Amino acid sequence: MLAVSSLISTSNGREGEMESFSLDLDGFSLLDDIDFDDIFIGIGEGDVLPDLEMDSDMLAEFSLSGGEESEFNTSYSNEKVEDNERREEEDRGSGSGSGSGLTSNLGEEIVSKRHESVRVNSSPKEGHHKGRKSSKSHGKRKMKVDWTPELHRRFVQAVEQLGMDKAVPSRILELMGIDCLTRHNIASHLQKYRSHQKHLRAREAEAASWNQRRHIYGGVGGGSKRDLTSWPTPTMGFPPPTPVPPFPRPLHVWGHPAAVEKPVMPMWPKHIAHSPSAPRPPWTPPPPPPTPPSLAQPYPPYCHPQHQLVPSALTPGTPCFPPIHAPTRFPTPAVPGIPPPLAMYKVDQGIGVSSAQSHSHPPFDFHPSKESIDAAIGDVLSKPWLPLPLGLKPPALDCVMVELQRQGVPKIPPTTSHA
Amino acid sequence: MGDSSASYIHMVQHLIETCVMFHMNEDECMDALSKHANIMPVITHTVWKELEKENKEFFEAYKKINREDQMSEAETTQKILQILSENSTTNTINSSSNIHHDA
Repeated sequence: MLAVSSLISTSNGREGEMESFSLDLDGFSLLDDIDFDDIFIGIGEGDVLPDLEMDSDMLAEFSLSGGEESEFNTSYSNEKVEDNERREEEDRGSGSGSGSGLTSNLGEEIVSKRHESVRVNSSPKEGHHKGRKSSKSHGKRKMKVDWTPELHRRFVQAVEQLGMDKAVPSRILELMGIDCLTRHNIASHLQKYRSHQKHLRAREAEAASWNQRRHIYGGVGGGSKRDLTSWPTPTMGFPPPTPVPPFPRPLHVWGHPAAVEKPVMPMWPKHIAHSPSAPRPPWTPPPPPPTPPSLAQPYPPYCHPQHQLVPSALTPGTPCFPPIHAPTRFPTPAVPGIPPPLAMYKVDQGIGVSSAQSHSHPPFDFHPSKESIDAAIGDVLSKPWLPLPLGLKPPALDCVMVELQRQGVPKIPPTTSHA
Repeated sequence: MGDSSASYIHMVQHLIETCVMFHMNEDECMDALSKHANIMPVITHTVWKELEKENKEFFEAYKKINREDQMSEAETTQKILQILSENSTTNTINSSSNIHHDA
């Protein structure tokens, strides 16, 4: 540790000298002696992304000059011992292969201002990212931070306290008050958190619109492939680096035979409280945002308790009913919230029937409401290209035409207004 | 000419399917389509019948559900009314007992 600080202090004074190094690439032959493995030890710490500004700081710490290499080697030899064998091999391969490239890069790094956020050629570093096991705690080193749920919770708390825009790493650090976290840890975690939140919001919005669609068109005929990548449960709980798979249409959820075997449900609409076995992302956000108008809910678990007893309070338009399940013998949907809504639906109809004694004109709004029906119908009229929700076999056109003519409707579409 | 009829019939079928998603029976469907989409009930009816012919099983099952819904409706309705009346009696009891206490 002392070596580090001395390094830095000396390097401060030596910036002039370093510049001269940069101009003369031959002078970098000295740098070849430096073991590049050691240089990047700290950089590869688990929670560091290549594009964070801390890279330059890291490099500044390890700033090179010809004479320092021996100190380097001694001070970090400890680290090296702890490294995995395979990592060394990896590093060696990459280090030697790109040695010259590295050299010039590093030269530039040295020259560049210490606080400028410059990115080192990421290729040598990639090998270093995974599995850095440096457990030594040097004040200036970036320890691998294990973002436990508890830790993350505190982080989120701090962020919320500050407000998403005002959440600056330094303040978050203060609020969290945890010693072994550095500002950089927080910064990188914050970056990931923000992008995750953005994804979540986007998914939510998509889910909301999809769910609305689904209620209108039903999930039976959808039959879309469920492409869900199950939410990984890494220790750190970050989304996979690959782009998140497109949000799968939740049509399956309604009990499509193929989908219901395992209760695969989209994790994104997190207001589904009953996601059974799907691993919960560690970033389960604080209680789901107050439910937007219930239309957005696929299964509003909160819906049925109140509604079974007080049918009159049933909000029209609450899409608490499943589409037809019997015809294709759908198994009971995996989500427990579904059957009760059906019961609720029955109740509704019952009341309608008993009081009105007629089917077609219940005194109060059938659920679903006129508005939702109207919306659905309007949708169909305006977008004829949409697939049929049920995918029923269409009748032969001739048959229909003949039948219609028999009924006294010669022209289709009818020119006269409806009766 | 033929095309427009075909697409019209297709549209009606689409609308009917949408109504079926809403668990409507034929009459309700005719009603809804006539109201919201200006489809002549006779047309709805015809297309419905034709669809039924082509998709017998589906509609049989569908009718069954609807019937079940309606049958159990009576039971559920009764239960609801029961509960409601219980609630009201409880309320009366409570209020009377309250008065009692106050006195």
